[in-house]
Amino acid sequence: MTVFLLLPSLLFLLVVFVGPLFRYAWLSFHADSVMTGLIAIPNGGANWLRLVQDQRYWQDLGQTLRFAGVSVGLELFLALIIALLLDQRWRGRDLVRTLALIPWALPTTVMALGWRWIFNTPYGPIDYFTNLVGIGSLNILGDPNLTWMATVWADVWKTTPFAALILLAGLQTIPVDLYEAVRLEGGNPLICLRRITLPLLRPYILLALLFRLAQAFGVFDLIQVLTGGGPASSTESVALYAYWNALRFLDFGYSSTIIMASFLLISVICLIAWIGLQILIPTHSESRGVIKS
Amino acid sequence: MNRRFLIALLLLWSLGPLLWQVYTSFCSDQALIQPFVSNDHRWTLIHYQNVLNANPPFWRYLINSLIVGATSTFLCLVLALPAAYALNRIPRQLSVLTRLALVGAALFPYVLLFLALLELARALNLGNQLLALSLPYAALSQPLAILLLNSAFNDLPPELEDAAKLEGLSLFQRFRWILIPLISPATASTAILVFLFSWNEYPIALTWISDSNKLTLPVAMARIAGSSIYSVPYGAYAAATVLGSIPLVLLVLIFQKPIVSGLTSGAVKG
Repeated sequence: MTVFLLLPSLLFLLVVFVGPLFRYAWLSFHADSVMTGLIAIPNGGANWLRLVQDQRYWQDLGQTLRFAGVSVGLELFLALIIALLLDQRWRGRDLVRTLALIPWALPTTVMALGWRWIFNTPYGPIDYFTNLVGIGSLNILGDPNLTWMATVWADVWKTTPFAALILLAGLQTIPVDLYEAVRLEGGNPLICLRRITLPLLRPYILLALLFRLAQAFGVFDLIQVLTGGGPASSTESVALYAYWNALRFLDFGYSSTIIMASFLLISVICLIAWIGLQILIPTHSESRGVIKS
Repeated sequence: MNRRFLIALLLLWSLGPLLWQVYTSFCSDQALIQPFVSNDHRWTLIHYQNVLNANPPFWRYLINSLIVGATSTFLCLVLALPAAYALNRIPRQLSVLTRLALVGAALFPYVLLFLALLELARALNLGNQLLALSLPYAALSQPLAILLLNSAFNDLPPELEDAAKLEGLSLFQRFRWILIPLISPATASTAILVFLFSWNEYPIALTWISDSNKLTLPVAMARIAGSSIYSVPYGAYAAATVLGSIPLVLLVLIFQKPIVSGLTSGAVKG
């Protein structure tokens, strides 16, 4: 009986999540484009060979990794500060928490064009500010060395509240007397952070890190609307490249190959991030030993 | 003073960009290109008039998104509630394994699914049908919904259902009259998160819908961006941004408790 309760949902999930992965794996070994009349014809490993030799793919992959690394790093750092701030007691805290959540709730595309206006040269406020302090016009959305930073900025703005909320949830599970114990032994706030907060927060940091890394690696909406991948493909992400290949060049076989490669890479990256975090932050029991000894 | 400064910074950082859009939306085109210069003819409602009188009018997209959001949320919950309940009643190892797979699916950047889903839409003739969007949306938000609802079912005392069973209530009756009412807070949180996801979703709506009368809000917004960088009507766009943000800002302000508890319990249990 219970099986029948689970079945509809699981079938649905198989069709939407697992089915596509098999389809991509299969398509990545087929030519399926306008050249073949959109009929899949086996072509051995030609797509994968093309991927390995595709300069643009490697450039996009580098850019995607840079975007994901920098923005997730900044997000977690800012989220930790915001979470620590919101974990304290002060008047109006709930209201501030709610207001800070608004960027996360807005559709990415809605604000992406808003950012385009804010970064606009010469009419945007950022340009006005850089002129005011004497740096001069930076042409943020026209300079390949700067545009990716604008995308990072917009992404950090939107997703930090989400990460902060997850970390805040973790902070609220930490018993207060643990901090008092450290304080009694003469530890300063920094030691508290290093020995108690971070170790006990580790599962939450891990969750935020993995979720954000995977999502940032698949960044699409923001880039497509804010920069369109430009200038000179300097902000193009792998997801956007896969999208161009499918819908502009109508090459479904190659697009599937890019997606399949991205899926495998994300899995590896998440695994590395998971192991890395275990090494970086000691577990709580170890750290308690350090305080006691 | 230190804390006050941080709070002010946080609010400026979070709301500044949005307030800039509000400011822009009320500025005349002349004032737009000189944002910090005083101007006698600065304030105008022309952008709002343009956006609301466009063809199709702006509220059409809001209604489309509302319809898709509502049907997706309903479909998602109808599927997720029984599944979340049943997940505790299958062999333990199987249930742990399923939950792990669900976490994986919830983390997965779903944007990568667009191509296979597009093929599916073509094969099943679902393109350009607004309501058809709720199928992928309900499925994509399923992992998070099952996990959240499952942890809510987990928190209920098992004696409760045993007692109901002794009273002779059938599975459906227990579900309808005892379990569903008890987990309604978690259901509300889940519903709002699913609704937000459906309202904001972009890549699938972009590839499934091309008829300009059926666009959802995010795609309609991006369409404006499709024109050249230099010809984007920023005033009108800012007005659209503000109109498109109001429902969500209201949603967050009204439902902040269930949203926060949904995200939080998702984190604590996950």
